[in-house]
Amino acid sequence: MSISAEQAAEMKNEVAVVCCRTEEGTVIESAHLEDPDIFPDLVDSGLLTIPANCLKIGEVLGAKVTKTIDSLTPLTLDIIDGAKEIEEEIELVEEDEKAVLKYNKKAGETINIEDLENPMHFDKLSDSLLLDLDDKVLTRKEVVGKKLIKDVVALTPITGNMLEGYENTEKEIDEVSQIPMSSRVLKIKIDEGKGIDIEVPLGFGDINTSTIEKSPSLEVVGNATEEITKEENEEIVVRKLIRKHFKIDEVKFGSETKIEGTTLYIREDICKDAIEVEKLVTDMKIDIITPNEYDQFSNTIMDVQPIATKEKGELGEGITRVIDGVVVLVTGTDEKGVQIGEFGSSEGILERNIMWGRPGSPEKGEIFIKTDVTVKEGKGMERPGPMSAHRATDIVVQEIRDALKKLDEDLVINTDELVQKRRPGKKKVVIIKEIMGQGAMHDNYLLPAEPVGTLGAKANVDLGNVPVIVSPLQVLDGCVHALTCIGPASKETSRHYWREPLVLEAMKDEEIDLAGVIFVGSPQINSEKFYVSKLLGMTVETMDLDGAIVTTEGFGNNHIDFASHIEQVGKRDIPVVGVTYSAVQGQLVVGNKYMDAMVDLNKSRQGIENEILENNCLAYEDAVRILYMLKAKMAGEEIIAPERSWNPDVKLNNINLIEKVTGKKIEIAPNETSLKMSKKRREIYEKDELEVAEEN
Amino acid sequence: MNITILLKQHVGGLCKAIVTEGQEVKRGELIAIPDGLGSNIHSSVSGKIKRIEEDRVIIEADEKQSSKYVKIKVYDDYLESVKAAGVVGSGGAGFPTYIKLNVNLENGYVIANCVECESALHHNIKLLEDNPEIVIKGIKYAMKITKAPKAYIAIKEKNTKAIDSIKGCLSGADDIEIKKLKDIYPMGEERAIIHAIFDKWLEPTQLPLEANCVVLNAETLSNITRAIENRKPVIDKDITVVGKIKGGNKAHVLFQVPIGMPIANLIEKCGGIDGEYGEIIIGGPYTGKAEDINNAFVTKMSGGSIVTIPFPKYEGPVGLLVCACGANEERLRDIAEKMGAEVVGVVECKNVIDVRGAKKCKTPGDCPGQAQKIMSLKKNGAKRVIISNCSDCSNTVMCCAPKIGVPVYHHTDHVFRTLDYPLTRRLSL
Repeated sequence: MSISAEQAAEMKNEVAVVCCRTEEGTVIESAHLEDPDIFPDLVDSGLLTIPANCLKIGEVLGAKVTKTIDSLTPLTLDIIDGAKEIEEEIELVEEDEKAVLKYNKKAGETINIEDLENPMHFDKLSDSLLLDLDDKVLTRKEVVGKKLIKDVVALTPITGNMLEGYENTEKEIDEVSQIPMSSRVLKIKIDEGKGIDIEVPLGFGDINTSTIEKSPSLEVVGNATEEITKEENEEIVVRKLIRKHFKIDEVKFGSETKIEGTTLYIREDICKDAIEVEKLVTDMKIDIITPNEYDQFSNTIMDVQPIATKEKGELGEGITRVIDGVVVLVTGTDEKGVQIGEFGSSEGILERNIMWGRPGSPEKGEIFIKTDVTVKEGKGMERPGPMSAHRATDIVVQEIRDALKKLDEDLVINTDELVQKRRPGKKKVVIIKEIMGQGAMHDNYLLPAEPVGTLGAKANVDLGNVPVIVSPLQVLDGCVHALTCIGPASKETSRHYWREPLVLEAMKDEEIDLAGVIFVGSPQINSEKFYVSKLLGMTVETMDLDGAIVTTEGFGNNHIDFASHIEQVGKRDIPVVGVTYSAVQGQLVVGNKYMDAMVDLNKSRQGIENEILENNCLAYEDAVRILYMLKAKMAGEEIIAPERSWNPDVKLNNINLIEKVTGKKIEIAPNETSLKMSKKRREIYEKDELEVAEEN
Repeated sequence: MNITILLKQHVGGLCKAIVTEGQEVKRGELIAIPDGLGSNIHSSVSGKIKRIEEDRVIIEADEKQSSKYVKIKVYDDYLESVKAAGVVGSGGAGFPTYIKLNVNLENGYVIANCVECESALHHNIKLLEDNPEIVIKGIKYAMKITKAPKAYIAIKEKNTKAIDSIKGCLSGADDIEIKKLKDIYPMGEERAIIHAIFDKWLEPTQLPLEANCVVLNAETLSNITRAIENRKPVIDKDITVVGKIKGGNKAHVLFQVPIGMPIANLIEKCGGIDGEYGEIIIGGPYTGKAEDINNAFVTKMSGGSIVTIPFPKYEGPVGLLVCACGANEERLRDIAEKMGAEVVGVVECKNVIDVRGAKKCKTPGDCPGQAQKIMSLKKNGAKRVIISNCSDCSNTVMCCAPKIGVPVYHHTDHVFRTLDYPLTRRLSL
């Protein structure tokens, strides 16, 4: 794929290879050049051999091709006319070191990077009394590009009074140094936020008085402010959500939908009503599956949903009732028996196609209320088809919700309280979840009236896939009804959001201040992908963040916007961690310089999408890695680049590291190898290995 | 292109040109012979003699040049080949090698000086890394000529790659031994090497012969091999070009550049001078001399060509501390002038000895103390001092001058600041 002019400028020192057939006489532009990021793959696969004399991108831009060449031809001098030399841009290094002139300079001249003395000599020059690097000396980054207002000779440290436009700063520093030390009181006004006035007697708490006495400067005040705000800023409870759990251990059909004790009755003729309402639904059945029936066949599992309803308050706060022991599975085909699922489907023996224990999966031992919806022929791949299957199922669930609402308080077996806190003074972090929004079954209903309901919700495709900010408690209270039907192993079901481990862990983490969760849809068309990522960029720009996490579900096409989201966040100088299933099959198709802290969600043995429900979805172990990755990046630690090809040891090493630091054991979730082999695994994904095993 | 071959490329007097203006010469042809102490000089190019001046022969080189050359005559005696080829010390001194080798060292040693202690220069070590054989053969010829039963290769311990490649080439021979030396200036000075190997200081007036040895530079040894095996006269020179050159301050090692080539030409070939510069130093940072870029040519003795950054301006009174290991008084005055400073006092290090007009240090690399000298410069009104000392003496200066409030420049500062090399100051303890 060709590159943009911006990329070309950034990658001017990479070798130049044309991406497509290029006619004689063509003047080379960025659009003619292949993306250097994929060269290693091209070389590996034998598509490309880069000769030693291959020209660089910066050399060929604007030059003419002297003969017609085919795609993936490396550009060399014998086929290029007018190659130019790359102008080296010098990058400022050691920017926090002191600025000392290397050359004699005159008033009016601007200080460039190359005009600054190499800091390696400072010790010896100071030792020789040729330099005096006191506190007034500015740093390298402060002086580059500034104009001198007087002649200054080489080896002179640069101070504010030599530079244009530096008087103000100096004055500020003076003011600070005039703080009456005799009174031993430091007055600080914090303008930002609440405009608090604080008076702190010097010599108390964390303030280092000796530092202040020695060198009163703005920096010290900065530190002091931070210390004080920390003390002042205790956790703020924003809102709470209470979950009341009701136990159901038997599900039966009956004359009406009701709950008696721990038995749930579903109205026998309920499907008829659902079929009537939903025009595209031609048939619907409900199967009640108990644990000893897990060996039954099922059509592809489109969604896994908790059964929950609001008792008090709106979604995301107040009280929610939820049924324990029963989940809803939405499954279906069209009239021709074609599975409603685009990139893979999980039809087959239930217990062989469900990865138990993932946040988005049914739990072993639960009873499944499984709807088997048939939609009109061919409608399984169009947006209204899967939507009606979901809505039809929700007619059933809504009746159960209504029954749940009526239940007596005595039947509550368990209550938990989820508390959303803000932690001012801690690193402010946001979780950005990319959700599917490409139409068809790639959609999500957002913010229904009932947990994981459909009524009152809007589909994110209809919202234009634009960023939507919700509270972490809204996520955990079922504000997403997932219509997602991407690869079963990496799609996030409705239940996944209900139990989203990253949100849960981030809420618990006392080292960070979780500001909220942003959902952003992944549209079908590339231009729309960038439309939404630009909006996301502006959204996070207003939030003054210290860090961000971008997650996505699925792989492939959506990685384009995933990468663009990370770029939009990263270029605003916000440390950002990217999270996706990648491994072997889901290798990133695009990338940028901000994608240097990535967490792979793969759990499959082979690194592939093997159509086992939820297998490669974000689990607890991932949440821990993600948060540590973000903290490392926010702390400015180096994140080592991985090897070129997928190596599962990277993940295990990181987990070991975290265990060592925290002293806590992190359980690694089992993968598909703990299940009996599914048909697809036997016949497709692990076929070769099985054959080899048999031969031996 | 004009090639300028100087008639004095060695210790001794000017050679006498034996060609006439307008005469056609071939590469390798003898064009000047010694008149007293000296060494043969050959043309490094094919072309026409354009002009003969008092101290130089200017040859208009043919457009097409070949690497072939007119070979020297066949001699039975190795020493005669060395003499005919015009081999002189390539390390900077230029002492005629045939005189050095004309000794009997039946109980002595040949020492290969592979120290290359001027830190900006790299061509000797690079030669040893790439082609150690030509140097080792030279050692063996020198041993044969002098009948020395044993040879040492003196090299800095930090040059591990070169040491490995020499070892590979020696393949266990026990008559040639590698001596690893510390990385300190002036470890490559003849008497410093002898001190490091035999733990004995020669008087500055004494020659290495008195320690029963002869010291030859790596490139000189390679020229001995070329003279004997290829009958090649000394017409090409290895040289390091480095400094404020477009493309960065990394060293460019140029092997076998024709002697007489304008230095400006070499710098251009390496990228050209990058903007304003201070001076062009021919040789190393310590002992090299600033030369006019338009009048500097490759000789048998040129080691390096360094383009430096401009000097820092200092328009105050300075004192000069002259040392025999680094710049002489003339060079220090040159540097003071280029900084815009006024010289108010000049002192010599206590160890400087005058030997037949040349300054020598009694114990190179071993300091005699400098406090007294610095005090006297301060008394003369010096507000700063410029010193030209070796590593050890600079260390001593650093222990006193700043303490009495006198800032210190080393005459190599502008070179090392150009190259991002550590400055010569205090030694680490």
